[in-house]
Amino acid sequence: MNAPVVGAPLLLRTSVKHEARSFAPWIAIATVLSASSVLVYPWVFPTQADREGLAALVGANPALGLIFGPAFDVSTADGFNAWRTLALGGLLTALGAIFVVTKATRGQEDSGQAELLASGVLGRSSRLLTAVSMGAIVSVLVGAVAATVTLLCGGGTEATLLLCATYTASGWMGTGVAAVTSQLGAEARASSSMAVAIMGTLFILRGFAYSVEAPDWALWVNPLAWMTETKPAVENTWWPLALAVALTGALLAVAFVLQARRDFGQGAIAPAPGPARGSTRSPLALALRLNRGTLVAWTLGFAVLGIVFGYFTTAITDLLSGDAGIGQILASGASTPADLFGTFVATVISLVGIIASIACVQIVLRVRKEEMEDRVEPLLATPTSRARYYASNVVVALGAALAFLTIAGLVIAGFASSADIGVTYGQAFGQALATVPAVWTVIAVAVAVVGARPHVSIAAWAGVLLSFGLTLLGPTFGLDDWVLAISPFYHVPAIATSTVEWTGLAVVTLVGAAFVAIGFAGFRRRDLATT
Amino acid sequence: MSADELVIETDGLVKMFGRFTALDGLDLAVTQGEVHGFLGPNGAGKSTTIRVLLGLLKANGGTARLLGGDPWADVVELHKRLAYVPGDVALWPSMSGGEAIDLLGSLRGGLDDARRAELIERFELDPTKKGRQYSKGNRQKVAIVAALASNAELLILDEPTSGLDPLMENVFQEVLGEAKERGATVLLSSHILSEVETLADRLSIIRAGRIVETGTLAQMRGKARTTVHATLAREPVAAELAGLHDVQVDGTKVTATVDADGIGDAMTLLTGYGLEALAVAPPSLESLFLRLYENDDDAAGAR
Repeated sequence: MNAPVVGAPLLLRTSVKHEARSFAPWIAIATVLSASSVLVYPWVFPTQADREGLAALVGANPALGLIFGPAFDVSTADGFNAWRTLALGGLLTALGAIFVVTKATRGQEDSGQAELLASGVLGRSSRLLTAVSMGAIVSVLVGAVAATVTLLCGGGTEATLLLCATYTASGWMGTGVAAVTSQLGAEARASSSMAVAIMGTLFILRGFAYSVEAPDWALWVNPLAWMTETKPAVENTWWPLALAVALTGALLAVAFVLQARRDFGQGAIAPAPGPARGSTRSPLALALRLNRGTLVAWTLGFAVLGIVFGYFTTAITDLLSGDAGIGQILASGASTPADLFGTFVATVISLVGIIASIACVQIVLRVRKEEMEDRVEPLLATPTSRARYYASNVVVALGAALAFLTIAGLVIAGFASSADIGVTYGQAFGQALATVPAVWTVIAVAVAVVGARPHVSIAAWAGVLLSFGLTLLGPTFGLDDWVLAISPFYHVPAIATSTVEWTGLAVVTLVGAAFVAIGFAGFRRRDLATT
Repeated sequence: MSADELVIETDGLVKMFGRFTALDGLDLAVTQGEVHGFLGPNGAGKSTTIRVLLGLLKANGGTARLLGGDPWADVVELHKRLAYVPGDVALWPSMSGGEAIDLLGSLRGGLDDARRAELIERFELDPTKKGRQYSKGNRQKVAIVAALASNAELLILDEPTSGLDPLMENVFQEVLGEAKERGATVLLSSHILSEVETLADRLSIIRAGRIVETGTLAQMRGKARTTVHATLAREPVAAELAGLHDVQVDGTKVTATVDADGIGDAMTLLTGYGLEALAVAPPSLESLFLRLYENDDDAAGAR
């Protein structure tokens, strides 16, 4: 066998056995997304009129396109599935692959596990080969399981196979990106953040490019747009998948070259020595310090998001006037242009809020990670009360949400107020601030979980998942209002419309406060994790 | 010993992790101003005891008093008066060792800057390295400097020297001696006898979540057995050797251990068989510990 990869098959077998459980959520989410589309479609949209209504709904809220991409044809179950899941399914698969690859490379090095392995009979490149193989395997599993279940649920053969193949191809590209970033970052977290940031940026840019009907080159420079261009259920174009395979190969080649050059446990960028004396002297300062990199990166991210979404609001009049469905809604007097624009701005800012809640839930989960890695124990052995320690981190998370929405809100309001859509600067910025309590409530769910039930810390994402699912997917499922109302974002009033109702938001805030109280009560009472 | 002299006092302490009993009625008493060795094999419950004393874990039963307060309820007040070195020191990857020392010191209400500098010098610690670049021993040094640069009246040290080289272990012993002179009380956990032998005034030995022996070194030595190697003129009758411990008979050669108060009887017994050669090894604590540790295996096996 080739010396650099000696031992890789054995390591791969052991690793897959060990990590198989962590594959499951990614496979499950993509499968549920895809299979549920074909299952519910005939049920929710039984008649031709319903399906036209759906097309009008999608057309009327171009903000949806930012996340889902273009709706080429939602008049069939497969077309609906392609619109609803191609972008998300691919992104999720890529994220799954990124986490698997990073954990198997830098994660192992950070934890010291890799040292045990590397001292065994193992070639220099075996661990990276194992990691990328795992990334490739999880991607294939997502595609294969989602395709099988979707076909069993009645999906069309070619459309389903192509759609699920785009999940796998996106996962492979994620694998390639993570393989490279794993060679660059100073530690596992930095590596995975870098990869996630790259895929997230491409994702947003894709939605933006399609929504503003950007020129073709803007699509073809974006690997994620290649996936959209396969147009499952409409044109069924297979060849863009070859581009994804080629890109993955190129990225892996770069990764293996970089890997051969770097030192074990260190990235391409060597850490500089730190100061001999410290200025971090309180739990709050520590929480800020530990999240500094993340906060700076997300702050920049939200400024960019503000520009993208803000620019998008200026294009809304063109987009809406070109849509026949909207014309009907307006002509029938069911809605005024001002209401329509107000709702649109509210939706765009809700999207910003949901993305902000992802960033902030991560900050709360960091508390658990620190605890698991024994770094909370020495802090709590000092005269720092548990409440104070936890509060410092929660304050950083809540403050970050406020900062992110303020930044994005300022930028979006600038664009929106100049767009002549009847929304003032104050209204748009006020909309961003009104969204903050909803984001806080989503964060509060994570505060409750990490504080009171840390063993199921994955449940900290429940708020994000519910908000995302109900706010963005809920309407296309034809869910009742009371179900949609579970999402805190449902209660954010659209300030620029004629009817503004604050009661719901007040209730949401109270619910959030209750979750925070549960979290603190739990954190004060429970055992600290021991290893 | 009056109750107000006790810095640490636990009574029937019980801690369960699910169905596993980590502490099974632990009674530990540490008096003011002493260095108390807390010995036991791996997994006996040393760290669990310490974490309960620090209010990091909540006991399921029994009582614990620390510096006259409740370690769970009075966390902030008590922690102002103590310093802790964990057994497994984890540092923040992005922070230098110096920053970690200052963070922990600040949270405790400030460090003695002169002593901080002196300790860094004596332990030959580079405070500018980042968390992950330190070896295990150097991470340990960061935690030791952070703890000992304070003026805490109680030091709780969980296997503090694991990972230190012999030279640094000597430095540690010196520094700990100085802390003792200042009047600090020390709870020093370890699984190696020699580590605590030089410093400890008293010892408690924990096994399977209970204290099985406690006392001064001299009292412990009294409980240790003398080892006897004898060559006899004729083969002994096994039943007659029942008064001895750990008896091994190889023809006329006998090896056995004898309690301190049974040496006379053992000599009388062996002389009866005609002593041809005799070697007696004095009682060693090491053998006492090995005996106690071995019993732990038996106890674990029986469960």
